[in-house]
Amino acid sequence: MAALDLRAELDSLLLQLLGDLEELEGKRAVLNARVEEGWLSLAKARYAMGTKSVGPLQYASHMEPQVCLQASEAQEGLRKFKVVRSGVHAPEEVGPREAALRRRKGPTKTPELQSSEAPRDPLNWFGILVPHSLRQAQASFWDGLQLAADIASLQNRIDWGRSQLRGLQEKLKQLEPGAA
Amino acid sequence: MAQAYSHGGRVAVHAHVQECGSENCACLKGGVGPTGSRTAEAGFQWLLVLSGELCPAAGMAGRGKLIAVIGDEDTVTGFLLGGIGELNKNRHPNFLVVEKDTTINEIEDTFRSLGSVPGSVAEANPSQHDPPLWDEIDSWQFLNRDDIGIILINQYIAEMVRHALDAHQHSIPAVLEIPSKEHPYDAAKDSILRRARGMFTAEDLR
Repeated sequence: MAALDLRAELDSLLLQLLGDLEELEGKRAVLNARVEEGWLSLAKARYAMGTKSVGPLQYASHMEPQVCLQASEAQEGLRKFKVVRSGVHAPEEVGPREAALRRRKGPTKTPELQSSEAPRDPLNWFGILVPHSLRQAQASFWDGLQLAADIASLQNRIDWGRSQLRGLQEKLKQLEPGAA
Repeated sequence: MAQAYSHGGRVAVHAHVQECGSENCACLKGGVGPTGSRTAEAGFQWLLVLSGELCPAAGMAGRGKLIAVIGDEDTVTGFLLGGIGELNKNRHPNFLVVEKDTTINEIEDTFRSLGSVPGSVAEANPSQHDPPLWDEIDSWQFLNRDDIGIILINQYIAEMVRHALDAHQHSIPAVLEIPSKEHPYDAAKDSILRRARGMFTAEDLR
């Protein structure tokens, strides 16, 4: 009876593992596509700005991450990763929301203060007015980071499932030594 | 949640142990109760701020982990555009641009310690640039850094240091192999998928 329960548990774990592997393959294909889109956009930006204008020479000497990873442990050994973005600047919204006329020389805005608190956008390393292709590259790689976190979670789940599977197989061998 | 107290000219920062998560910090004063659980007092980690310089772990309190990248120029530039880069005078960078003249030893050292990046603090301090001993744990070793959650690495670079990747069995940092422009992704070479393929034998499936 215990062996039957173990076998049922093994089967369910195996099915879950196969499902995770299939999901991993799908997410990998999407990540690879996003990264390739990013390279193409970078190449277009390089064409527009110059060959040496998009590369390590433009990296800032001081960088702060805009993107961080939150790792949570659902069960022992099973981790889940989530990408969190910090210091996103909301663009100034000017539009029909304002009932009155906007003063041309209104109170001084303080975006500079905000930018000193929040991490600087890496787009600014490449200049003030960057081509649209560079923004597209940033968006592609940003999507890639989200997918990377999902893939890392899946890989971790697969590893965890593998170790659980081995444990159950060992228990089954002890219960049914003749069956092995 | 962090609370700051001034204490004899030094500022002691309380940070909850779950937020800081850095147990390798030399500044920590922590304690574990007899049952293994943290007591109310011992559950707080003391992060000492000396001479105005923050303990690296203090900066990470409540901020989460980093994503590191080892790859060619386009891959690293792209992911840095995505906002993962960290570089300041106190920390080692979390990225390495692999060029034609980058040696395998450098890549392997970086996989274990980001201090091999040209122009980094390690180069300014040659003693720190010496390859660490196998049983030596430096606070800035890549795999041993507790502030890195994921390492992204081009697959063709991963092939050069496959033995180091296969030896890495921990869940964190997670290692993700990604394609490069000249080398498309090959699932047969991925460490994780190779391990998964070896899960089942003919006997197991009877």
